[in-house]
Amino acid sequence: MIVSATDVTRQYGAGEAAVHALRGVSVGFPAGQFTAIMGPSGSGKSTLMHILAGLDRPTHGSVTVDGTEIVGLDDSDLTQLRRDKLGFIFQSFNLLPVLTAQENILLPMSIAGRDPDAAWIDTLVAKVGLGDRLDHRPAELSGGQQQRVAVARALASRPAVVFADEPTGNLDTKTSADLLGLLRQSVDEFGQTIVMVTHDPESASIADRLLVLRDGVLAEDSAGLAAPVTAE
Amino acid sequence: MRRVALRGLLARKTRLALTAMAVALGVMLIAGTYVFTDTINSSFDRIFSVSLAKVDVVITPDDALSGDDGSSTVPLPASLLAKIRQVAGVQTAAGSIADMNGTILGKDGEAVSQGAPMFIASQDIQTFASTQVAEGRFPRTAGEVTLDKGTADREGFALGDRVSVQGVAPRERYRLVGTTTIAGVSSLGGAAFATLTLPEAQRVTGKEGEFDAINVAVASSTSPQQVVAAIRRVSGRGTIVRTGSQQAQSQSDDIRGGLSFLSTALLAFGGIALFVGAFIIFNTFSITVAQRAREFALLRTLGASRRQVLGTVLGEGLTLGVLGSAVGLGLGILVASALRALFKSFGIDLPSSGTVILTRTVVVALVVGTLVTVVSSLAPALRATRVPPVAALREGVAMPETRSSRFAFPLALLLATAGIALMLVGLFVASGSTGALSFTGGGAAVTFVGVALLSPRLVSPIASVVGAPLQRMFGLTGRLARENAVRQPGRTATTAAALMVGVALVCFAAIFAAGANKTIADAVDNGLRGQVILQNQAGFGAFTSRAGEAVKTVDGVQTVSALRGARTRVRGISGKQGVTGVDPATLERVYALEIKQGDRDALRGLGPGEILVSDTYLTDHGLKVGGTLVLATPRSGPLRARIAGTFKDKSQLLGSLVVANTVLKARFGAQQDQLTFVGLRGGREDAGVKRSIDALLKRDYPQAQALTASEFKQDQRDQINQLLGLIYALLALTVIVALFGIVNTLVLSITERTRELGMLRAIGISRRQVKRMIRLEAVITALIGGVLGLVLGVALSVLVTRALDDFSLAFPVGTLIAVLIASGLAGVLAAILPARRAARLDVLEALAYE
Repeated sequence: MIVSATDVTRQYGAGEAAVHALRGVSVGFPAGQFTAIMGPSGSGKSTLMHILAGLDRPTHGSVTVDGTEIVGLDDSDLTQLRRDKLGFIFQSFNLLPVLTAQENILLPMSIAGRDPDAAWIDTLVAKVGLGDRLDHRPAELSGGQQQRVAVARALASRPAVVFADEPTGNLDTKTSADLLGLLRQSVDEFGQTIVMVTHDPESASIADRLLVLRDGVLAEDSAGLAAPVTAE
Repeated sequence: MRRVALRGLLARKTRLALTAMAVALGVMLIAGTYVFTDTINSSFDRIFSVSLAKVDVVITPDDALSGDDGSSTVPLPASLLAKIRQVAGVQTAAGSIADMNGTILGKDGEAVSQGAPMFIASQDIQTFASTQVAEGRFPRTAGEVTLDKGTADREGFALGDRVSVQGVAPRERYRLVGTTTIAGVSSLGGAAFATLTLPEAQRVTGKEGEFDAINVAVASSTSPQQVVAAIRRVSGRGTIVRTGSQQAQSQSDDIRGGLSFLSTALLAFGGIALFVGAFIIFNTFSITVAQRAREFALLRTLGASRRQVLGTVLGEGLTLGVLGSAVGLGLGILVASALRALFKSFGIDLPSSGTVILTRTVVVALVVGTLVTVVSSLAPALRATRVPPVAALREGVAMPETRSSRFAFPLALLLATAGIALMLVGLFVASGSTGALSFTGGGAAVTFVGVALLSPRLVSPIASVVGAPLQRMFGLTGRLARENAVRQPGRTATTAAALMVGVALVCFAAIFAAGANKTIADAVDNGLRGQVILQNQAGFGAFTSRAGEAVKTVDGVQTVSALRGARTRVRGISGKQGVTGVDPATLERVYALEIKQGDRDALRGLGPGEILVSDTYLTDHGLKVGGTLVLATPRSGPLRARIAGTFKDKSQLLGSLVVANTVLKARFGAQQDQLTFVGLRGGREDAGVKRSIDALLKRDYPQAQALTASEFKQDQRDQINQLLGLIYALLALTVIVALFGIVNTLVLSITERTRELGMLRAIGISRRQVKRMIRLEAVITALIGGVLGLVLGVALSVLVTRALDDFSLAFPVGTLIAVLIASGLAGVLAAILPARRAARLDVLEALAYE
């Protein structure tokens, strides 16, 4: 398991006003798998992802990423973990407007002060297909192009796992399909592990595995439509 | 709608506080100055009216030509007292001495005051009793003295101690028999009073048979006014006769006049701070209006009129202005006490009987502060009204491109040019110092605004230059800092421009001071032929001419030549001005004065009816060599003098008008030396002779000090640098205001970039890196201000010094570099709070931030 959660609960507030976002979730994510997490609003799907990514802390339970227990790590260790082991794709792209597409892609390495693996970056750039737009700033790119940059950025440092939070939420149908295809390819061709939160069944259909959360508990854990088993 | 404005303010407390400070600091200095000077004035009013309460009529020499040090006043003759005693209605009349040209020495042998005047006074007769004995008694014999209690306490004198006093006569030791207070106050603004018996006071001050004032008590059958009229008929030319209360008023006015320079200067610095504050208010409102465009659009959609939107923003400005001004007023009252403490530490103990807060102070502080705020928020408010209602429905609204921004560049150029033109008018055309100053100052302000408007175009190139090394040093954070700084060039430009003003003025002052130092040094190097200079130990003011006469007897001294000074009015030319006395026979031996026009021997042969004028004075006033100048004198009627020639004097030591010392003594009563050049035998510096001179002065004339040429230059430099320090301290306020501006802009920008910061944190940037990024952005912004200020300061000083004759320009490169480094450090300081805020952002909340 590259990422696993054991008996994770998350409670916001206390007493009468307490909100139980997660009520004991245990789940593991094997390497090289594309998992979609679905659920209605307030089901706890985003909270689960935030906790898996070290952005939020569970009230109880344990989370390991690539063999490291992350619950109880301090801010600087968590920062380093996110920098070295995790990749993120956000709904609203979240590129730095002052940097070019290329610079945005290389951002994780720049933050770490590491030299990028040139061959890998070339492969990535070819994959996301930005071609001659690499020197453009985000404002000069379409939404789909921006999200492709974001995908390349998430993959650039070869993270143990990429978390995608509604990556197609701001894209139209055609662009969405392209982007999902890109994510799918990164799993199939590079063996990338991806955990994607979405409320869009169409997006979820591309995953190997589908988790459904309801009221803070895991309601369903099934093979996704893209998994070989269900292909039969 | 009013509620919207208030809510808008309250929702952003940090911004509110920071912006209010931008107004408050300027208002603080203005209010503080008023409270400070009003308090002093009212204290002096009381002191003078109480001390003159028993005096009905006062006769004093005419001081219409007088300088601050009492020069150009001729004492009253004793014969006048006899005449006054004969006047009907005069019951008692007595003459007195109050002489400011003496020096009182403390136990350490140093003068008891370096700034406030030292008086040698005569003891009043019982009838007038303006001073009271605090301890002991008044002097009864020539060997006894009393000191004002303030001085005695400060110097640690006890009754029975020996106190040295030096007037015109050599230093004399007196036994301290008492201490005195005036109107119950132990110190009159730190001025020192040594009271002697009348004959001794007359002897020491060289006023045997003369008085500085005659006080009169009138018979109960008549009124002071009637007696004033009667005395005027006998007192003659060159005297002033006033009632006691008029005299008190006149003395108060003198103090007011003396303080008015100080208060004008302080008010000017307050004005500069407010001017800088205006930049910050404008910037803050511009940013918040842009950030709230959606909100205004929504209001418009809900049916709010443009006027109402305008009212909302202006209402915020008004509230902020009133609030900031009120805070400034409160701080000002505190600052007044701080100013008093500051002056006391310089030895000027200004009296203060209860803080005086006039209605005028409150009104001016509130009105000026509020007005500046509202006016500065006007342009952003107008922009807010141009947000179309439909913007409420659109994603990511940008402010509409305004019509004005298309004209911004030409307008900025126009303003900068107009500002420089105004300055040129002030410097080269305008006559009268007030006009010239207003033109120059106003021109400088307009230039600042013009350059500030131009600066958005300069931000990017300057940021590239100063940002490049930062990027090389700090990598990604440096890169992002630079990019963020130039993201909104207008915003960065205005923020930097606020700092630019302070930096420009600091550079200007530094360059000006360096130039003044160089000018003096050059003049001394080129002009001085003597080896020693005598001057008052305080560095300015006159000293007894007997010091020079005594030095002449020292073995090894060959020539002693004194410069003296008086004040006069030249017929046909407005204003009072100085006239310098020289010794024509000896001056050339110790000082090189270049005669430009007229006879070569014009100086050596300068006769009693002749005058030399400076070259520039001749041209400025359209005079001709051989023509006649008519000079007003204190008592002996106009002096007609033929212009015998012109001179060029780079040092400005001689001023514009030069006559012989004999003329100055006979017609202006000037007997004291201002500066005395001493030439040694062999024309070379001689440490032994210098030591003998020092010893002599220390023993008999401690009022004077002897300096070698290099010591004299150093002394002048020290004085200039002291003034420079004071100017820096006052400009620091302006810089602090600008720092608040940087803090404010950073806080607002960080708010805008919350999501970005969240993303950076999510993908692994550390808190340290966030802090560094913000810090570097502040440094870049501050350095843009520093670079612009430096360039502008250099340009201003070059321009201004062109207007001065014979002013050597010098660039204190070290200081200028230090200023630049300091502005960068100021950026670091300004970034502390915003950086901490940015680093503390919760990643999840930041990512969800709209």
